[in-house]
Amino acid sequence: MSLAQLSPKVGFPAFFRFREVAGKVVVTNFEGNYLILEKDEFARYVEGRVTPDEPLHARLDAANFLRDTYRITEAAEAVRRRKHFLSYGPILHLMVVTLRCNETCVYCHASRANMDQVDTDMSKETAEKVVDMILDCTNPFVTIEFQGGEPLVNFEVVKHTIEYALRKNETVGKRLEFTMVSNLSLMDEDKLDYLMKHRVQLCTSIDGPEKLHNSQRKLATMDAYQKSAFWMKRINEKYVEAGLDPTLYHVEALLTTTKATLPLYKEIVDTYVSLGCKTIFLRPIDPFGFAERVRLRVEYPRSAYLEFYRNALDYILELNRQGVEILERFAAIFLTKILQGEDPNFLDVRNPAGAGIGQLGYGYDGAVFTCDEGRMLHAMGDDTLRLGHVATHTYRDIVTHETVRAMTLASNLDGQPDCVNCAYQPYCGTIPAHNHKAQGSIFGRMRDNNVCMVHKGIQDYLFEKLADADAQTLKIFERWTTLRPREHFVHDGGDA
Amino acid sequence: MIELRFHRDIYAGESVDEALKVFERFATWEREQTDDAWVVRCTHDDAAREKKVANELANYALGLTIRRGGAT
Amino acid sequence: MSDIPQGLVSFDVGKAAVTMNVDADVYPLQALYGAAFIFIDRCYVFIDKPAQGQFRVTLGARGTVEDEEALRRLVGEFANELLTCAWRHQITQDNRMLIEAVTMQAIGGAAGSPSLDDLANFDFSDDAFEDPLGIAQSWEEKHGKKAGAGEDAT
Ligand code: SF4
Ligand code: SF4
Repeated sequence: MSLAQLSPKVGFPAFFRFREVAGKVVVTNFEGNYLILEKDEFARYVEGRVTPDEPLHARLDAANFLRDTYRITEAAEAVRRRKHFLSYGPILHLMVVTLRCNETCVYCHASRANMDQVDTDMSKETAEKVVDMILDCTNPFVTIEFQGGEPLVNFEVVKHTIEYALRKNETVGKRLEFTMVSNLSLMDEDKLDYLMKHRVQLCTSIDGPEKLHNSQRKLATMDAYQKSAFWMKRINEKYVEAGLDPTLYHVEALLTTTKATLPLYKEIVDTYVSLGCKTIFLRPIDPFGFAERVRLRVEYPRSAYLEFYRNALDYILELNRQGVEILERFAAIFLTKILQGEDPNFLDVRNPAGAGIGQLGYGYDGAVFTCDEGRMLHAMGDDTLRLGHVATHTYRDIVTHETVRAMTLASNLDGQPDCVNCAYQPYCGTIPAHNHKAQGSIFGRMRDNNVCMVHKGIQDYLFEKLADADAQTLKIFERWTTLRPREHFVHDGGDA
Repeated sequence: MIELRFHRDIYAGESVDEALKVFERFATWEREQTDDAWVVRCTHDDAAREKKVANELANYALGLTIRRGGAT
Repeated sequence: MSDIPQGLVSFDVGKAAVTMNVDADVYPLQALYGAAFIFIDRCYVFIDKPAQGQFRVTLGARGTVEDEEALRRLVGEFANELLTCAWRHQITQDNRMLIEAVTMQAIGGAAGSPSLDDLANFDFSDDAFEDPLGIAQSWEEKHGKKAGAGEDAT
């Protein structure tokens, strides 16, 4: 008799992982279904003492937690759905059109150059080669994100890239999207008209209330916040003028969470709401590119970050209960995976991670990196994540580069100590570039890994909320996990 | 003189050779093979330098061995 | 790392080095390679095999060390990394099929099918690529192409 022929006892558990959260036990299975059990329920489940006549048996069975009724095809289908992104290449292409920037931010060192360093501008020829590589990618949907430095500093090349890409895509036929991350201080009506006409999605940076923002992000005129806020409002007006639904089409902003941010969680959320943002992304600061002096000013222990996160989320949920629509992106990413069984394809919380297979970064000189962090490491003299150059390598050379394969292997949580036993494994991800920088290997060591700590802490919070969520909270969570595509920004091949 | 004994089960002979090529000009080297080791002797007038070069060579040989997937 | 078991580790502050004995039954050589590779950037690593079933790792600081504490930290971190690598080595063997399937799908999905030009340039040799823990070996054996770490693709 083979093992497969053994018929397990009724109530015998199938493969599961567990974690105690707020006096209850979260159990997850291979395909990512979850249940939150009372401790005595968990004990009876583990010991195989749950009888078919009790409601717990039905719950366990419905979520595929029982060995004797385990539905393998259903599980395989669920895993396939979660890993849908594996079939396509990089969706996100980060293009650094210049390193020059007119702003000086305390935490930005490796990413910027002074305004006179014109040699850090991408040339039109290089931009064309970057586009050629992007359009060679296997993903039928690609996003080109203009970054810097400040991309508006090299606006001619931004325009050239857009026009060249649209023209070339007429024959290639991809679904193409352009986004730009800008501090907006160099925006003017002409540039805005161009960007609106070419349906470029705009995103800016807001560090919080005016005082905090202006103390961290410095313009010569000391009005970085005012400039960003002005243009955010102006852009949002333009969307309305264009007849677009303002709940879907509005400028979103990125937060850089520094030490000074932590006590100001309320003010920060309020600022975002007042600027018309519907999303706030409470990301901890990356360990890239600061001098020691700056690190002391901006860095903080991850435990302090998690306290900030919990406070901010409580406040955000409170605002939502009062009818204010504001969503926290980390929560939305994890909840989509937890509640919907889908992966929103956020490249830093993915298994395996997106480095090289989900995103590529292009430096101003045409060098290609697995991700934006790779480019920053390069700026600091570490070329580990450099994959090649648009002038000398093909798209295929790049994505089959051994570094991409190594990163894919290293970020596979099924090969990662701790993650293999972690209840959050089906929803989680590690960031090999971060691991490399912080722990000396792309594999990392989860026991003392900052990204792991953050991901674990956030999921603990979310499962605590799910454990005793009222109908209103569940409704808010459901809204946060409902993806509404912004079709306006998509250029279908041939519609240039 | 510093003697380094690279165990054959741990270090690849080619890696040790390659490392020696890289560090050749930094000291005087002697090599020998025994049943279980690649033996390398490093000599330099300056004792501190001798130690440093020998250490760097050992690191290099280990790195190359690991990159090629092991000793065999 | 204040309670390192006796006899396992010996410190030599004068030589700025610490030596650790490693049981090969607990820590396979692949795990030792994995941990060593991470540490060769920050210190000198020498591995020896004093007897069958035993390895001896010597970690040498790049400069002088003030006291034993610095060496304790170094060897403590190395031991943590070694444990992680040993566990990873075990897991990757246990989950090999799953990891290979996902890697193949991811790289295959990103690369797409080769063009005729790609095929003309294809290296059909079966040298393993850099994979210190050997976790992708069989996948590589089938599809591999060798390039030095950190080099551009060719
Ligand atoms: S605006 Fe952006 S590129 Fe410029 S200094 Fe600030 S973070 Fe850096
Ligand atoms: S990274 Fe941390 S939280 Fe995520 S699965 Fe691994 S151990 Fe769990």
